[in-house]
Amino acid sequence: MKRIEKRLAELSKNNSKAFVGYIVAGDPDLETSLDLMHLSVDSGIDILEIGVPFTDPIAEGPTIQQAHDRSLENDTNLQKIIELVGRFRKKDNETPIILMGYINNFLTYKDLINSSHKVGVDGVLVVDIPGELSLKAYGIDNEDLDIISLISPTTSKDRIQEIISNSSGFIYYVTLRGVTGSSHLDEKEIEKNIDYIKSITTTPVMAGFGIKSKDDVQLLSSFSDGVVIGSSIVELIHKNSENKDFREVSDYISSMKDAIR
Amino acid sequence: MKDNLPDKDGFFGEYGGKFVPETLMYALNELEQTYKTLKDNNDFNAEFHKDLAEFVGRPSPLYFAKRLTEHYSTASIWLKREDLNHTGAHKINNTVGQILLAKYMGKKRIIAETGAGQHGVATATVAARLGLDCHIYMGSEDVRRQSLNVYRMKLLGAEVHEVNSGSATLKDALNEALRDWVTNIEDTYYIIGSVTGPHPYPMIVRDFNAVVGYELIEQSQESFGRMPDSIIACVGGGSNAMGIFYPFIKMKDVELIGVEAAGKGIETGEHAAPLNDGTPGVLHGAKSYLMQDEDGQVRGTASISAGLDYPGVGPEHSWLKDMKRAKYVAVSDDEVMKAFHMVNQMEGILPALETAHAFAYLDELMPNMNQGQHVVINVSGRGDKDLNSVVEIEDIQL
Repeated sequence: MKRIEKRLAELSKNNSKAFVGYIVAGDPDLETSLDLMHLSVDSGIDILEIGVPFTDPIAEGPTIQQAHDRSLENDTNLQKIIELVGRFRKKDNETPIILMGYINNFLTYKDLINSSHKVGVDGVLVVDIPGELSLKAYGIDNEDLDIISLISPTTSKDRIQEIISNSSGFIYYVTLRGVTGSSHLDEKEIEKNIDYIKSITTTPVMAGFGIKSKDDVQLLSSFSDGVVIGSSIVELIHKNSENKDFREVSDYISSMKDAIR
Repeated sequence: MKDNLPDKDGFFGEYGGKFVPETLMYALNELEQTYKTLKDNNDFNAEFHKDLAEFVGRPSPLYFAKRLTEHYSTASIWLKREDLNHTGAHKINNTVGQILLAKYMGKKRIIAETGAGQHGVATATVAARLGLDCHIYMGSEDVRRQSLNVYRMKLLGAEVHEVNSGSATLKDALNEALRDWVTNIEDTYYIIGSVTGPHPYPMIVRDFNAVVGYELIEQSQESFGRMPDSIIACVGGGSNAMGIFYPFIKMKDVELIGVEAAGKGIETGEHAAPLNDGTPGVLHGAKSYLMQDEDGQVRGTASISAGLDYPGVGPEHSWLKDMKRAKYVAVSDDEVMKAFHMVNQMEGILPALETAHAFAYLDELMPNMNQGQHVVINVSGRGDKDLNSVVEIEDIQL
């Protein structure tokens, strides 16, 4: 069984929902990213989403954009990120890892992506490719990787069907019109749309974008299979990068995890 | 050669497509459907052409450049005078068309990115005419270089948002405009200013600018009784070039030459010439030639001209390059400044620094041409906006 499926099955058996956490690899540096990955898991994250930095991340708000820029100043690239996953796997062979980023970086390193399951990558989420297009057509063809797709409030019903048929692992439901880190969640709309997606697929649905508070987490996890938090974690990491004391990150993750349960 | 591109998915061969965050797909599909319905609609076309005639001042003249012709003493040099359009560049053709699309779609808010400021001014102009709320994104480096145009946009009632991220130039302004669009998707129309971005933009912007090429067909016939031998246009994103090239793609005997910005020289790496020194990649929603490093990160650009200072290029140009239907060359900042002065002094025309790139290629082209041949330069815009930059570059005390 693939790691994502296995982890989600375990959570479901225990009647709990998933906490997907996002950090940008290489912010503040790759060594620290490795520590932060373990710290995140120890604090309650069930699935790790590792951001691959890009010079022009058009779906990101300022917090994550700036994290991408900081990471790029350290010459982070996909090769080094895949090596990072390999090092993480020496201590943790259970927590699923998804690489999230932009198509141009994935195309540049498509051969490495195609063999990345061997070092322990479990899935990819390409932000800027329409979900109905198959990544295979672009040379990213790896049956061992889950392909996570985004569905947004503006996705039409016929396209939802197509996107689902191209996805595995889970569906990432974008909870707002906007970039990462924005606010203004429309709870009723989110619930209605997630209910619709869940009525036509058994693939789990995670809710993400704009989720910050315990209240958001409590509410959204009540009708989804889990939540994704990115910007808030990235912000706390940056705030404490100077002295590398990440207790605040750990506390934040734990409190969010409690809100899910 | 196919001239019915892009295909239904928005590709010109392998280039183009819609590589955008999911939220934007709905808006792109809506725009595509609207355009499909309107482009052959008589009322829509009548309104577009009436605006081009009465507001823009079309057709723009095809002017014989007598002294330049004598200077090279080979082929005749003709100038397609887009610089005489209202607001001073070809950019207005596209904005007049797209604002009509926005009107038919009932959108109340207009956004645009701009580099040199010409597209920002052209957008603010058409938005003012319809009383629509207008927001222009512009890199802070360009705000500095093109302060006159910034003031012009403000005069027209637009709000200018300075973009400080990345290199603070055109590409970053585009990023920020896309982020605005994702956030305000339902009431906002995004007027992209070049033949770049996700499908259907490269097609729409080309079609609205193709009026330049169609006029040239008629004017060439009237002025010298046949089609030109060569057409030269500068290429940043490539909208003025695509507009004048498009109707000629099928006419194989007409040489199409796009001139990119070689900045400090192609060999220095400090330039903005993806078709000369780039590789295929994906930026701003489309696959095309791109200046990128070995990790797939977008490289910084350098050009004297804000309008060409962009690491990507419209996907149809990439296709024309691979098909060898158009030739893409590059000229350096120094060559551009020389041409800038030459055109001022020999023709009494002040070209935009972007446009001066097209003139700068004459030194290389003309010695290989013959008398009796005809070369057309697309004078894409006028250079009033660049006077501050030129004064600064040449260290002149006014």
